[in-house]
Amino acid sequence: MEETARPSVRAPVDRYRLVQIIIGVLFVAYLLWRLYVVLFVEGVYGADTWARFAISGLVLGSVYAVIAIGYTLVYGILFMINFAHGEVMMLGAFAGFFVFEGLNSLMINAAEGVTFLAAYPVISVFLAFLAGMLTSTVAGVYLEKIAYRPLRSAPRLVPLISAIGASIFLQNAAQLIFGPQRRTYINPEFLTRGAGWEIMINERPVVLTYTGIFTFVLSILILVLLYVIVQRTRLGRAMRAVAEDKRTAALMGINVNRVIAQTFAISGAMAGAAGVMWGIHNGIIYHYVGFIPGLKAFTAAVLGGIGNIPGAMLGGLFLGLVEALGPVILGLHFQLKDVIAFSILVLVLIFRPSGILGEVLSEEKV
Amino acid sequence: MQEQSQTRKAINAGITFAVILIFLALIGFTFTGAELLGDIVGLDVQLRQRQMPSRDTITAYAMFVGIIGLWMGLRAGRPDPERSDTWVRAALLGVLAGIVAGVIFGLFLILVGTFAFNGVDLRKQLVAMSVEAVAMLTFGQAPIVGAAIGTGLLAVTGAIGGLLGRGIGRGAWRESVSAWRERATDWYQGLPITRQIRRSRISEVILYAVLIGVVLFLPTILSSYWNYNLGTVGIYVLLGLGLNIVVGMAGLLDLGYVAFFAIGAYTVALLTAPQPHALNWSFWAALPVGIVLAMISGILLGIPVLRLRGDYLAIVTLGFGEIIRILSRSDLLTSFTGGPRGVRNVAGPMLFGTPFNNERQFMYLIIAGCLILIFVTSRLQSSRVGRAWMAMREDETVARAMGINTWKYKLLAFAIGAAFAGLGGVLFASRNQFTGPEDHNLLVSINVLALVIVGGMGSIPGVIFGALALKGLPEVLRELDTFRMLAFGALLVAMMVLRPEGIWPSKRRRLELELHEEAAAIEEALPERLTPTPGGEST
Repeated sequence: MEETARPSVRAPVDRYRLVQIIIGVLFVAYLLWRLYVVLFVEGVYGADTWARFAISGLVLGSVYAVIAIGYTLVYGILFMINFAHGEVMMLGAFAGFFVFEGLNSLMINAAEGVTFLAAYPVISVFLAFLAGMLTSTVAGVYLEKIAYRPLRSAPRLVPLISAIGASIFLQNAAQLIFGPQRRTYINPEFLTRGAGWEIMINERPVVLTYTGIFTFVLSILILVLLYVIVQRTRLGRAMRAVAEDKRTAALMGINVNRVIAQTFAISGAMAGAAGVMWGIHNGIIYHYVGFIPGLKAFTAAVLGGIGNIPGAMLGGLFLGLVEALGPVILGLHFQLKDVIAFSILVLVLIFRPSGILGEVLSEEKV
Repeated sequence: MQEQSQTRKAINAGITFAVILIFLALIGFTFTGAELLGDIVGLDVQLRQRQMPSRDTITAYAMFVGIIGLWMGLRAGRPDPERSDTWVRAALLGVLAGIVAGVIFGLFLILVGTFAFNGVDLRKQLVAMSVEAVAMLTFGQAPIVGAAIGTGLLAVTGAIGGLLGRGIGRGAWRESVSAWRERATDWYQGLPITRQIRRSRISEVILYAVLIGVVLFLPTILSSYWNYNLGTVGIYVLLGLGLNIVVGMAGLLDLGYVAFFAIGAYTVALLTAPQPHALNWSFWAALPVGIVLAMISGILLGIPVLRLRGDYLAIVTLGFGEIIRILSRSDLLTSFTGGPRGVRNVAGPMLFGTPFNNERQFMYLIIAGCLILIFVTSRLQSSRVGRAWMAMREDETVARAMGINTWKYKLLAFAIGAAFAGLGGVLFASRNQFTGPEDHNLLVSINVLALVIVGGMGSIPGVIFGALALKGLPEVLRELDTFRMLAFGALLVAMMVLRPEGIWPSKRRRLELELHEEAAAIEEALPERLTPTPGGEST
C-alpha cells in the first residue's frame, strides 16, 4: 500500500521540478546560442573590447562583493535583510567626500598653492577611508540599536518594514542635509580617474585604470581580512555561534546583543569602505547612490548563497561580470543592465534559492 | 547607584536632544518649525536674503528651541517610581540635561557660525545652512553669545520640563488616564441607547448609510482643487485595499506593487490614447482589460515567486517593480509605450454619451470604486478565504496542516491585490489624462505600504484612515511637504517599534500580536538576554 501511495503524493512536486529543469535548459541553450552569434557570427567586438568590459565588470563586482558581505553577515545572524545597508554605504561615501574636499582646501604652502591632498596623497586616502568607515560603523550600530533591536522577538515582517523605513529616512535626511545635487569626488593625483596603464590586446590599447586596480586590490584585501576575522578570531567564533543558535550561544556565556552590535559595526565598516571606493572609482555621489548598489549587492549575496562569505565574494564578482557582459551578449542596450541584474535575482531565487555555493543558515528559521 | 543612574539618564537625555536639535537645524526644520509656531501665535516669520532675521523670527525660533527643551526636561525629570524625588532634584536634573544639550548645540553653533560669518558659503555642502539661517540659529548674535543664549534657554526650559515631569509623574498619569477611560466606557455602555445599538443590526446599517451619504454629498460642496486631492486619496485607498489583502491579510510583503498599478495605467493609456497606437477604445472597454491584465500579470509573477521565503519575496517583487519601470522608459519599448515622455491624451470616461471627466464627476467614479472594493474586501475578510489567509499569515506550517492549500490562497491574494492595483492605475491614468514612467516609481509602492502599515495591517478602516493621514494631511500642511518622505521613513520605524498593530488595528491582528508578545515574554523569562524565536513562524 505504502509503495503505491508514494508516487501520487510526490507527483506534483516532481512536475514542478521538471518544468523548472526544462525552462532552465532552454534558458542556458538560448544563452549559448546568443554567445555563439555574438562571438562568431556578428563578431562586432574584438578581444580588446571584451577585455575592457570584463575589467570594468570585475572592478564593479569587487565593490558589490564588499557590500554583499554586510548583507550576508547580518542575514546570517538575524535572518533579516538590512534594507538600509545601501544607505549606510552612502553615508560613508559622503564622509570620504568631505575629507577629500576639506584636505583639498587645506593649504600647506599657501604661496605655491600646495594643498594637503597634493602633498600627502597616501595619508589623505587613508584619512578618507578612516572617516568613511567610522561614519558607517557608527551609523550601522545606531541603526541596529534604534530600528532593529526592539524588534528582535517580533514576527519577521516587522523588522523588514522597519529597515525599509530606516532606508527611506536616511536617504531623505541626506538629501535634506547635503542637497539633491550630484557631487564629484576630488581624487588625489595618483588616483586620477581615467588614467592608467595601457596594455595591448589585439594591437589595440586597453586601459587598466589606477582607480580600478586600487579598488579591486583593496576589495580583495578587505575580503580576505574579513574571512580571517570570521574564521580565526574569538569574535568571529562568537558570531558564528550566535548565527547557529542564539539561545545556546547565550548559555555558553556569549553576550548575544554585543555580538550582534559588533556584527553591525563590521558590516557598517565594510559598507563605508565600499562607499569611499565607489566615490573614488565612479566619481559621482548623491543621496540616492547607495540604493541600487545595495539592491545589487543583496542580489550578489543571494546569488552566492546567503550567510556564506566566500559565496558573497563570488556572487559579487559574478554579478559585476554579468552586468558588464550581459547586455552585449543578449544584444540589449546598456540602459537595461539593471533589468538583467534583477532578472538574475529572480531567476536564481526561483531555480536555486540557496545560491551557487549553498546557504549557510541554521535550520531553525529557514 | 540610583543617584548615579538618574544623573546619567539626564545627561543621556541632554545628548540625545542635542543631536536631535543639530539634526533638525541641518535639515532646515528649525526654520519650518519656527514658521509653524509663528503661524499659531501670529508672528511674522521669514528669512530674507542679506538681512538679519527679524525679531519675530528669532522669537519664534526661541520658542521652538524652548519646546524641545521642555520635552527634554520631561524626560530627564521623570521620577524614578522606586524613590520619592524632591522638586528641587527634578528641576536640577532638567537643568543638567539642558546644560549638556546646550553645550553640544553651542559647539555646533560656534563651528557653523565662525564659518558662515567669515564668508564661507556653507550652502555648497549643507544646503540648509545659509548665512541668514545661521544668523537665526545664533539668535542674531555672535556665535559664542548665541551658544550661551541657547544653553541658558535650554537649561531654563529643561528645569521647567523637569518640574512638569515630576508633577505629572509617568505612572500616576497613565493610571489616571486609564481610570478615566474605564469610567467613560462604563458610562456609555450603560446607556440604554448603546445597549439597543449593540443588539440590533439596523443601527449598523443606518450608520453606514449616513457615512455613505456624507461621502456622496461631499464632492458637491468641495472646490475642484479639493476634489482633485481627495481623488488622489481615494485612488490610494483603492491601492491600499489591494495591498492590504496581500500584506495585511495574507502576510506577503510585496514591494513591487506599483508594477500592477503601472500595468493598469499603461493598458488604459495605450488602448484609448491617439498616440502611439491610435486604438481609440472607449474608457469603459479599456477598464476591464486593464484590471484583467493586471490580474494575469499578478498570477504570472506569483506562480514562480510565491514559493519563496517572505523576505526573498519582498526583494523579488521590488526587483520586478524596477524592471517594469526601467522597461517602460527604455529605448527598447519607446515605440510601444512612448518611452520617457509617456502617453498623453488618455481618454476619460463617457456616460450616456456625455463626457464625465471633470474633477467632481471623477470623484464619484473613485468613490464608487472604493465602495465596491470595500464591500468585496469585507466580504472576503470574513469568508473562508479570508480566514485561510489569516491562518497562513500567522503560521504557514500550521495552516498547511489544517488542510489549507497555501500556495493556491497566496496566488489568490496576489491576483486580487493586483486587480485592485490595476483598477487604481486605470482610474489614475484616465483622470490625469496622462501616464509616464515617473508615475510608477518605487515611491508609490512605499507610500501604499506605509499607509497600510500606519493604518493597521488587515484593517479596512485603517486603510482609509492611513490614506487620509498620509496623502491628505500633507496637502493641508503644505509647509511640511519637503519633509514628507523623511517623516514616512521615521513613521515606518516608529510604528514598528512602538505600535506594530497600526493606529486602527483589526481586532484579530491585535489579539495575535498580544499573544506573540506574551509568548515572547514567557521565553524571555527563562535565561537572561535570550532572543526567542516563537514557534516555526515563516512569514
